[in-house]
Amino acid sequence: MEAIRDLFQGLGQVSLWTTFAWDEIEHRYRRSYLGVIWIVLSYLIFVAAIAIFFGGFSAMENSRFTVYVAVNYAIFIFLIGNVTDGCDVFRVAQTWIKSAPIPHSVYIYKSIARSLFTFGINVTVALVLAFAMGWQITVYALFTIPALAVILLNTIWVQIVLGYLSARLRDLKHLVQAVTRVLFFTTPILWVREEREGLVGTIADLNPFTHFLEIFAAPLLGRYPHLGSWIIVGAITVCGYLLAIVVAGYSRKRLAYWL
Amino acid sequence: MPSYRSNRQPQKVTNALEQRDISLEANGVSVTFPIKSSPAGHLGENSNGRMVTNEKGELIAFRALEDVSFNLRQGDRLAIVGRNGSGKTTLLQVLAGILSPDQGRVTTWGRCTSLININLGIQPEATGHRNITLRGLAAGYSRQAIEEKREAIAKFSELGEFLKMPMEAYSAGMRMRLTFAIATAFDPELLVLDEWLSAGDSAFKRKATQRMQEFVRKAGILILASHNRELLLRNCNLCIWLDAGRVRKFGPAEETVQAYETYMRDMTQRMEQPDQVAKVVGAG
Repeated sequence: MEAIRDLFQGLGQVSLWTTFAWDEIEHRYRRSYLGVIWIVLSYLIFVAAIAIFFGGFSAMENSRFTVYVAVNYAIFIFLIGNVTDGCDVFRVAQTWIKSAPIPHSVYIYKSIARSLFTFGINVTVALVLAFAMGWQITVYALFTIPALAVILLNTIWVQIVLGYLSARLRDLKHLVQAVTRVLFFTTPILWVREEREGLVGTIADLNPFTHFLEIFAAPLLGRYPHLGSWIIVGAITVCGYLLAIVVAGYSRKRLAYWL
Repeated sequence: MPSYRSNRQPQKVTNALEQRDISLEANGVSVTFPIKSSPAGHLGENSNGRMVTNEKGELIAFRALEDVSFNLRQGDRLAIVGRNGSGKTTLLQVLAGILSPDQGRVTTWGRCTSLININLGIQPEATGHRNITLRGLAAGYSRQAIEEKREAIAKFSELGEFLKMPMEAYSAGMRMRLTFAIATAFDPELLVLDEWLSAGDSAFKRKATQRMQEFVRKAGILILASHNRELLLRNCNLCIWLDAGRVRKFGPAEETVQAYETYMRDMTQRMEQPDQVAKVVGAG
């Protein structure tokens, strides 16, 4: 119960975690000439490279494929970023955890807010790119809104679970890093799930990221998301929060000792 | 949002918030630190019972505090004395709500501010001004309340233009000035301080002591750990003497500090004695 209270108390301290988040963004790009523009540049460079070199991966025509990659890649790096940030969320905040009784969830919201900032820029770029290539936004795009809400809900439990566990088990971070590298290839970003059969298709279906990408990207690209993906994401959300409550309940009081 | 807080029974606090005076209760507080990498091997005799070992005799944890209990009421100023490693800082962290005790409970009524390690709780790459904002927000104050205090904090810290520089460029003394100025600016009701003047110059020490006394007049609760006898006696009316994680003595400041110092003097003398014996033998 204390863990749940922590979540709401932290949510209430909006100005604290937004200030923390903004501070980190500023710090990351301080003294570089282009600053935050680097977020746009690094994203564009990647999408352009993929579109040029891997266009042949799909039966789609080239401009469609570029938009497909742009949207999927934006949401994928947001999700993966939250997974890897989650492993460090408490460790980078340890000087605060050891000096002030702030709800632990503040550090989690800070971390999500910071990655949401990058994500917002990337999605905007993806949409601009899409329009430039003659893409028409459809009414299906409205489905992205609930998808984004559910994705944000999921980032919270993921960071809680990984944050506490990796504060205690230092190996976890390395395991997560190893797995996320593989995930980039086993998630349909550079290829299209519907065009694959057999083992590749099965692996993609077993990969939860596939379903998160589906519910977000499919409506943006102009079709209904698969109902199956929504069901899986819903189940993951519920189980994830139950897990987070158990982990946080056990770890909350011990965190300061582990860091 | 002020941090009215109790470690175990939060509902009670919010209900009774209006009627209660500022107070702090510690009940049977014990803290055991897990030891991260447990080195193998058996312990010598000087473990004085604070080391926790597993069945193989490996060190797994360290008892930092054991069964510490006391009550403080509005206007109490508590000194904490004890040798290095006796658990002073750990006790401060528990009282400030940073560490949760394994056993026992700390119940606090009032807005608590702590200043335990001046290197913690700052963003070194951010400017002094930015850190005023961050620490103010972290302590639960609104942006408006922070802006109202900003000038007073800047003035008290005497840092002037330095406040526009990142804090990583500050000296230890400058850091202390600023964190002390922030910690005391918002009229805390409970103030927890560890060796708070060690890095300040004498002018700042005087200023800080003055501010301390203002605070004491407002009848908050002050908790202060230090090795400086004069500082403790000037600011405190009660004292806890911690010895190997336990309360050796709890009572009026003068008496307890005196007992602690007598004990320390005796011990130093005992340590010097074999030397003197050797000298006498040598001379003979």
